[in-house]
This record gives sequence, structure tokens and C-alpha cells, in this order.
Amino acid sequence: MKVNDALSGALLALLALVVLFAVKDYPTIPGQDIGPAAFPSLLAGLLLVCSAVLVVRGLQDRRAAWVSPGAWLRSPRHLLNVGLVVGGLALYVAASDTVGFIPLSLLILSALFLALDVRPLLVLPVALVATLVIHFVFYKLLRVPLPWGWLQGIAW
Amino acid sequence: MPDLIHNALLAAQLVFQPQVLLVILASAVFGMAVGAIPGLTATMATALLVPITFFMDPIPAIAAIVTATAMAIFSGDIPGALLRIPGTPASAAYTDEAYAMTLKGRGHQALGAGLVFSAIGGLIGTAVLIVGAPALAEVALKFSSFEYFWLVVLGLSAAVFIGSANVVKALIMLILGLLVACVGLDNPAGYPRFTLGNAELMGGISLIPVMVGMFAVSEVLRFCVDTDPPLRMVQGRLSGVFEGIGATARRYKMGILRGSLFGTVIGIQPGAGADMASWLSYAMSKRFSREPEKFGTGHIEGIVESGAANNSALAGAWIPALVFGIPGDSITAIAIGVLYMKGLNPGPSLFLNNPQNIYAIFLVFILANLIMVPLGWAAIRLSANILRVPRNILMPVILVFCVVGSFAINNTVFGVLLMLVFGVAAFLLEENGFPVAPAILGLVLGSMLEETFVTSMIKADGDPLVFFERPISATLGVVTITVLLWPVGSALWRRWRLGRRDGRVPG
Amino acid sequence: MSRMSTIRAALGAALLAAAAALPLAPAEAAWPERPITFIVPWGAGGGTDAVARTLATLMEKDLGQPVNVVNRTGGSGVVGHQAIASAPADGYTVGMVTIEINMMHWVNLTPLTHKDYTPLALVNVDPAGLQVAADSPFKTAKDVVAAAKEGKRLKASGTGQGGIWHLAAAGMMSAAGADPNSVQWVPSQGSAPALQDLVASGIQITSVSLPEAKSMVDAGKVRNLLIMDAQRSPSAPDVPTIKEALGVDFAVGTWRGIGGPKGLPPEIAEKLVASIKKAHESKEFKDFMAQRGFSAAWMGPQDYAAFMAKSDADLGSIMKAIGLAK
Repeated sequence: MKVNDALSGALLALLALVVLFAVKDYPTIPGQDIGPAAFPSLLAGLLLVCSAVLVVRGLQDRRAAWVSPGAWLRSPRHLLNVGLVVGGLALYVAASDTVGFIPLSLLILSALFLALDVRPLLVLPVALVATLVIHFVFYKLLRVPLPWGWLQGIAW
Repeated sequence: MPDLIHNALLAAQLVFQPQVLLVILASAVFGMAVGAIPGLTATMATALLVPITFFMDPIPAIAAIVTATAMAIFSGDIPGALLRIPGTPASAAYTDEAYAMTLKGRGHQALGAGLVFSAIGGLIGTAVLIVGAPALAEVALKFSSFEYFWLVVLGLSAAVFIGSANVVKALIMLILGLLVACVGLDNPAGYPRFTLGNAELMGGISLIPVMVGMFAVSEVLRFCVDTDPPLRMVQGRLSGVFEGIGATARRYKMGILRGSLFGTVIGIQPGAGADMASWLSYAMSKRFSREPEKFGTGHIEGIVESGAANNSALAGAWIPALVFGIPGDSITAIAIGVLYMKGLNPGPSLFLNNPQNIYAIFLVFILANLIMVPLGWAAIRLSANILRVPRNILMPVILVFCVVGSFAINNTVFGVLLMLVFGVAAFLLEENGFPVAPAILGLVLGSMLEETFVTSMIKADGDPLVFFERPISATLGVVTITVLLWPVGSALWRRWRLGRRDGRVPG
Repeated sequence: MSRMSTIRAALGAALLAAAAALPLAPAEAAWPERPITFIVPWGAGGGTDAVARTLATLMEKDLGQPVNVVNRTGGSGVVGHQAIASAPADGYTVGMVTIEINMMHWVNLTPLTHKDYTPLALVNVDPAGLQVAADSPFKTAKDVVAAAKEGKRLKASGTGQGGIWHLAAAGMMSAAGADPNSVQWVPSQGSAPALQDLVASGIQITSVSLPEAKSMVDAGKVRNLLIMDAQRSPSAPDVPTIKEALGVDFAVGTWRGIGGPKGLPPEIAEKLVASIKKAHESKEFKDFMAQRGFSAAWMGPQDYAAFMAKSDADLGSIMKAIGLAK
């Protein structure tokens, strides 16, 4: 998805203004002449200048469309892929504590394998093996406390 | 001199024991694996080793850390070259370059160069460590925040050199990285910024999940939206890893030496480790190259130089750690803890009372860099299997790896959330021609930039001229400003020359 | 087809049976029946981390379950302390509760206080010191205070803005009758960079603990002028107390203890305390503490709770006196 530089420049300028607004009430620290607001303000100022340059360049380039959606945005298949990656990760963030690593990893892997045309017979075995190997390496060898969730009762 | 031989012999007795050698081998394999997994850093390898070293004698304990980190810094190149995902931050500087080489079917050469010149850089760094430990630490010890400020600015100017064709976009990404570094409580004022009242955000935005997101998740997304008919994965040839290595070494011998020595010097600076060494060294290589236009297109020169630099930085970081107990980077920070735990309290007295222990550590450094070559060769050969795995199976598995790696940094799903957010952002930004690398650089150096500046101004009672009063600081300042103004200056000079030749006054 | 559905039915039944069995298992087992997470609010390799890892390894042997040290760093300790307090109170999450818990809430960084934890044991107390560079014009602590009384602004460091060593330096001046604002605090990432800056003559004094300054002092680069405690330290008997050096009573130091989330079941807390005590009394732990120069201390749950309450009140009043807290 390509966005005209003028548009992305405007968005960045907006971000810079938000930063400036957010830091305006930061306190001064006794004994420090340069307070916590100084550095972000300076950066936001620089960002404003850079985004202005971007806007000017975007406007000069008359051939460029405002937004030119990539081919994937018109293909439901590819949109589904993106949705699965982003949704899968969001689901993991939301539910890993209750559901646990193994069931979620199985789910995310199987869903993505199916969407990406892995042979159906391979989907579950590969998802299972990959999940168990990753779990073994991280949980047992590296001692990362991956959540058990639903499988707490049969934790090994 | 007799003392030296006597101590070296005593040290050899300490090191050449079956148990110690076994520990070195095991931790080498461990380090290789950790480094090759995106999201696991050399620092993490060290932290994970600490509880295990608790049960070891002093020398094998230190040996385990030295070996594992050296291997991890090299093997971070492997996923970088094959999948465009740096295994450790120290490989990020030349990941794009190595991946471009893989796409051209020269992945084996990129990795071979990374391996051999990592080992050479490590050995040169070790030589500096052995010869100059006390003397060099003395110099680094004179550095105050003024000197660090200049070093950081020098590091940031690398963003301009690494940067893509579009300088404004590179600069914007650098600023965004610096702004992200502002989040949290860890600023000189100790005031929570941009935290939205969230306790996790008070801790700031940690580098690893951001890197995994920006380099790995964005890559998975790019694969998912690839509407072109399924390409066969470029079959990387991974045999003949050492092919043409001699010619490369002869061709870039100055670069190898420069990278190794420069990396060592960066490593000695407290707080600046292998990551910064490889970024700066890559930029330096481009700066001095006879063919800078080839950089970024799959050119081996930068890999040679910064591959040597990041491993030599590792050795350099041990100099202040051993001599004064000041960590050169996060790895030696942990290693110092182990030294204390083992009764080898760092300090000059360590050199006086137990020189054989110091020599044993030096010996371990040499051994680690030597076995890196065969082990690294094996790791590269095995990694070919990564390339043969169909991408539609590989990509989802990588995604789960990323989830676990981002989680493992702080053992919180907040890391996974950061990874997701930055992954999607990087995907969209890259689609629009914004380069990712400057943002990472900004994030790495942001807090140091602010802190060194603010603390310097406090010390100078608000007088910025102090940055040029201390001799080392003044020198560094002049160097930095020269480097910063060099592109502008040389452009003006060229215009002026052109103008003269055409008989016109420069406009 | 019918065979397939039979298999499916069998699988389904097996799954259901497994699911039904799940909730029963934990209720039967005695604590600890799975690994324990030991949260450290500070980075790997630091002093707190080293103490925690040593204790955890020893407790692991005693409890027969892994005790995994997890570093939850950032936000000057807020993140890790929050993680300990908000973990489920089932005995499977404990953590290092450090002095910062009694400081952060005074400046509104977090609503957390020491009351949000089940205190288990205090394991270590390290008093503040006062250091100058070896070539400093200040020969004694009296010189330092005299300079402050003349109205000089002394550049000092050792930790972040408002950290414990900042309080120590300003509190010492206040106790000695000088203006606490004569200490111009230069925030740093910790004691090591501050000491390095001291040697590099970027600052004039540091007020870190003696073990933190040990390697620099041994290297002859830094001198200890006093220890902010009632008695001298056994590991550095030549360093005078603040009473001996300045004639005033003032004691401040950092401490480390172990706590769990509020409302830990008493029988589990008891087992934890017993295990910590055993680890604390072991030769390995004593050797480790002696090697690092940390002073081991021991207080059980009740004493530790009282100690934290007093520390909280003391720190609050110092912070108000030097204008850090309102």
C-alpha cells in the first residue's frame, strides 16, 4: 500500500504535534536546567521540519496518486493471510495466560498453514512437532516460563 | 619475559583439561544455537549461562561465557543472511547486505566471510586485550559524559551513511527511533514520559521485541501479501563456504584491520558493545570504500569489516571489565558478576595476585575464536536445511519463534504486543520507502544521547563550551563535526570546482 | 466412514476425559508441585540479580522444584515490583523487594507500597558511603561539608534522579547542617558509571555503598571518606562512621528482601521462609556475600514488615526535607 509522501508527511507532522502537546505540561526538575520535555520537544520540532519537506515533495510529484493500494488489498486471500498473522498475534497477547502456549501455537500454526496452502495431511503433524520442539527448547532448556494455560494439569 | 612464559604455562594447565575443553565445546554449540535464533541475543545467552556456571570452577565458568558469546555474535549472521532476520542486534548493520548476497546466490560467501573475519576480528581483539588491557583501560577511564556525547553523535551520524537514497526519510526514521527511546521512566529526570499510565511502558520500549517485529514480523507479512506467483526460494549454495576467502582477505586487508581495531576500541568504551561497533564499522567501511555505491546491493566489503568489528568489540569489552570491574557492555556486566562469584574480583590486584587466571581467560578467548571456524562451518552447512524448508511452513514457524523470543526478554506478553505493533508499522513504512535501520539505531542510542547531554550540561552549569574544553572531548567533537559536515562540505566543494571550470560563480 | 467417526468419537471422548481431569490435579498436590518464578526488578548481572540467583539456586535444591529467576527490569524498578505485587498469591511467584518500593510512591510514580506484599525475609542491608577520587582536593568528609557550607555546589552522582544514593548525599548534608541543595545531583545509570565519572573528574563526590566502590578503591582510584551507618563495616574497618567523621547521627542504606504478592497462604509462606533461611545460612551464600562485600542481614517476616514500615516513614521524611517529595 503506497501513500503519497504528502499524506505520510502530514501524518508525521500530526504525530509531532501530538508529542509537543503531550510534553507541554512536563514539570521542571530541581537542579536540572534541561527538563524531561526538552529532548522530545527538540525531536518533535525536527520531525515537523522533515515532514514539511516530505509534504512539499509529495505535492510536487503530481504523478503520484494519494493512495495506491497494493495488489494484496484487492485479493481476499492475501487479506486473510495478513488478518491471520495480525489476529493470531493479537489473540496470543490477549489469551496466552489463560489458554497457554501449546494450544495457541497449535492454533496459529494450523490456521496459517491452511491459509498458505500447506498439504492438509501435513498441517496438524507439522504444527504439533514445531510447537513441541519450540516448547522443549525454550521451556526446558532455556527456562523461559511459557504459560501452560489449559494444560496446567498435565504440565511436564 | 620468563614470568610471562611461566604464567602462560600455568594458564595452559588450567585450560587444557578435559572438563574445561568439554565446557568450551558445549557452550560453543549453545552459543551458536542461541545466536542463530532470532530474538535471542548474546546477552541472553550469557544470562542463561549464569545459573549453570554457578556449579563450575572459575575458569570453566568464564570460559563458558566467553565462548558462548563469541559464537552467538557470529551465528547471528546466519539468519541475517538467509532470512533477513538478524540473530543478534550486532548483525543488524549488515543484514540487508548479506541477504542481498543470498538473493544473488552468494549467501555461502557472505556467511563464509562473516565466519572467517569474525574469527580474525576476535583474535585481533584478543591480541589487543592481551597486550593493552591495563593501558587501554586507563584511557577509557578518562571518559566522562562529554566524551560519550560525542561518541553517540558519531554513532547517530552512521544513520546518514547507512541510510538509503532518501536522506529525509532516513532522518525521519532516526527521529522516530529517538522518540521511541524517550518512552518510559529511564531518563535523566526520572519522569515518566508517554507512558499512558501503563506500568509496562514505564519500563520503556525494549529493543529486542521491536527488532524482532521490525525485521521478522514485517518479513512474514511481506511473504503473506506476496501476490506474485509463488517464486521458488533462491536455492542458496552453502557449500564452498571458504571459497574465495583468501582473495577477499587480501583485497580488504586494510578493512579487516581497521574493523578489528576500531571494534576493539568501541568495545572498550563502557556501554558501547558489539552492536554499536558493527553499525559504526559498516558506516566507516562505506566511507572509506573505493566503491561505496555498491554498498547495500550485496557487496561483501561491509560484511568483512563490520563482521570483524563486532567480534573484536567483544574482546575489547573485557578490557575495562577485567582491569577495573567496569562493564564494557551488557555481556561483561554479567560476566563481572560471575567473576565476583568465583572470587576473581576484577581490578588490578587480579593481575598482580593471580596472573595465571588472567592468562587462562586470554587463552580461552584464543581457543573460542579458533573453534569458531569449524563449528561455524558446520552451523552454516546445517542451516542450509532452513532454506530447503518450504517457505509456507517456515514462515509460520518463524512467527511462533518470534513470539517466544519477544516473550522471553522480560517474560511478559507485553513484548509480544510491542513486536506486533512495530512489525505492522515497519511493514507499512517500508512499503513507502522508509528504511528501518535508522530507527533501530535511534532506539539503541537515544537514551544515551539524552543522558550524556543532560548530565554534561548539569556538570558544566549550563555552559555548552565545556564540550570543547576537555582535551579528549574537544578532539572527539572536532572529529564528529567533521564527519557530520563531510558530505555537505564535499558536495559544496564539488559544486565550487564545477563552477570554476565552467567559469561561473557558485550559486 | 463409520470407522472414521468411531475414531473421532473415541478421540473426542479421550479429550473430554482429559479436560475433566484437569481441574482435579492441582488441588491434590502439595506446594511446590511446579517451578517457582523469582522476579528480580533489576537487570541481570547487577548486585540484586546476583543475590537473587544465588538464593534461587540454593532454594531450588531445598524445594526440589526449579526456582527460575526472571529479570523484569525498567522504570527504576516499577515494572518488576508491579509484576510481583500483581502475580497470583499462590506461592509460585515471589520476588526481590528492594528499597525503591518505599521511595517510588512518595513521588507518585506508582501507587504500590510495601503493604502490597507478603513480607518473607530481609536478606541484605548495605549502608551508603561517601567517595572522592584519589586525587581530589577533599581529604576528609569535613572538607566536603565545609565546601558545601561555603555555598559551593558539589556535583554528585551514584544513581538516577531521586534514587537512594541521591537521598543519602542530600540527607548527609542536611544532617551535617549544610543546605541539602548544595548537592547538585548528576543522574547516572548506576554506581559503576558514576564511579567512572568520578575518576574521570566529571563529578566531585559519589555516595554509593562500599561494595559497589570496592574495586575502584582497591585499584587506588577512589577513596572512601565515611560510611553512613552506626558502626564500621567488617569488610572495610578503616572507613570511619558518619558519627566519627562528621559528629552527626545519620544512617541510610539500600536493602534487599524477598516478598510475595499480598495474601500468600500462611502455610506456603512458612515453607518459603524456611527455605530462604536455610539458603541464607548456607556456606555458599555466606561465601558469596563475603566475596562481593555485601553485608548479609536476616529478618523474618514480622521483623521485615516492621523494618519496611520504619524505612518507609524515614525515607518519606528525608525526601520531604530535601524537596524531592511534596
